[in-house]
Amino acid sequence: MPEHEFPSDEPVLRFDRVGLNYGPDLDVLADVSMTLRPGSMTFLTGPSGAGKSTLLKLAYLALRPTTGRVSIFGVDTGALRRRDLAPLRRRVGVVFQEFRLLDHLSAYENVALPLRVMGRQEASYRKDVIDLLTWVGLGDRLDAKPATLSGGEKQRVAIARAVVAKPDLIIADEPTGNVDEEMGERLFRLFRELNRRLKTTVLIATHDMALVRRAKADVLRLADGMVVRVQAPPDSPEALA
Amino acid sequence: MSRATAPLLPKEDAREAALFFVVCALCFLAAFSGLVARAAYAAAGEWTSDVAGQITVRVRGSESDTIRAIELVKATPGIASAHVLTRAESEELLKPWLGPSGVPADLPLPHLIAAEAVHGANGVGERVGAKLNEAKIDAKVDDHAMWSADARRATDTIGLVALSAVLLLAATGVAVIAFATHATLLARRDIVELLHLTGAKDSFVAGLFERRFLMLGVQAGALGALLAFGAAAFILFAVRQADEQAWLLPQLSLSLADGLILGLSPLVAGAAAMLAAKVTVMRSLSDMV
Repeated sequence: MPEHEFPSDEPVLRFDRVGLNYGPDLDVLADVSMTLRPGSMTFLTGPSGAGKSTLLKLAYLALRPTTGRVSIFGVDTGALRRRDLAPLRRRVGVVFQEFRLLDHLSAYENVALPLRVMGRQEASYRKDVIDLLTWVGLGDRLDAKPATLSGGEKQRVAIARAVVAKPDLIIADEPTGNVDEEMGERLFRLFRELNRRLKTTVLIATHDMALVRRAKADVLRLADGMVVRVQAPPDSPEALA
Repeated sequence: MSRATAPLLPKEDAREAALFFVVCALCFLAAFSGLVARAAYAAAGEWTSDVAGQITVRVRGSESDTIRAIELVKATPGIASAHVLTRAESEELLKPWLGPSGVPADLPLPHLIAAEAVHGANGVGERVGAKLNEAKIDAKVDDHAMWSADARRATDTIGLVALSAVLLLAATGVAVIAFATHATLLARRDIVELLHLTGAKDSFVAGLFERRFLMLGVQAGALGALLAFGAAAFILFAVRQADEQAWLLPQLSLSLADGLILGLSPLVAGAAAMLAAKVTVMRSLSDMV
């Protein structure tokens, strides 16, 4: 399979002929090669069951490939020991499809979680967390527990948690799946702003083709466990070539 | 004002309450068994030291034989002191069998000589017997050696059984704590996974659970030890209220050694819970990439 490669000296994420299976006849990903350049914004699309979530799990280091090689921030993860993966994970913000909010923590505490894991003191991030939650429209729900939040509100908390530490790479699995169009647009603008202002690399798996069309970003299409179509944004060098 | 004060692990839930109860009950049993074991050993020591070196001579002959016998006993090497028991002393000895009404005035009592051997002297009873025999005095010498050995064997057995029970309970406790901790942690695997994927180091994640379960183990163990203390104190009180026969029971004294047993129980429980948490979390984490 030809590899789609964005021009970059040191890719943020690189898959080299990556395959993943759960048994001899259970290929989830067959032969995926792709590269995300620094500061890029990429959508991952494809039908349900194509392996989008699995690909994302490989990207945020929740899985190791059966075959091939996954490199992140220029580091071949296959050569790393478990304990060496933690620092890499801290540079990745993840919006899980099922949110994975901790029920006993408030919205504020859920968002602050990555910062606490990093050992930051509360005083150093309090304002940032409140500002971020206010920006996603939850400024008045800081102390709300996930059980009292709607699906859309949970999703916004999950997104705020993924971006709060200003990671180098944001990976989002259907981040606008549970919100209305207006909020979806707003959340996308948050990703876009992080991408443009902070040069954060963003990889979003989505079914929302309208969002993909509006975004004018790179697009990877995954089908039957393989990247079958790649589309560069209209104004990118690849598209003009 | 600080906001993020909530612990990363949820507060107690029903699973932890059950674990708390289990640890508490096991600590109570282990601590109480420990107290009983120590009391049995202490009793064995007291009983044997009470009779060690004491020699009783029962003279079957006349009063003049008794006078000759006491002189011979006193002259025997290794005897520290000896005296003929008065009727009042003999009656006191018979009181447990004959009751408070006392000994009938016309009941003849044996002539008894109570002697005490020098501490550490061996074979004194045999020497006394030989001397009396040589002097043709019909007397029976009892140096309590057989009774003392029986008492020591009995209390050693009680102590060994109690110690075995303590060790068995401790081992069971550690195993149950480990199992219950493992089950509790499995239910919180979502938290472990999330922290892991957020970039937390294994030691950070394990540390959260270790601290939580250390505290749980110590608190539950302390309560169990406190209950054991209460039970021991109650038995001590009951024994002291009982009649003179109570001395036959192993005495729970709540001494420094007992305090050590009670103090160690929560620490052992806490350490077991913490270790179980660490092993379980590290094993869960090792299953992850």
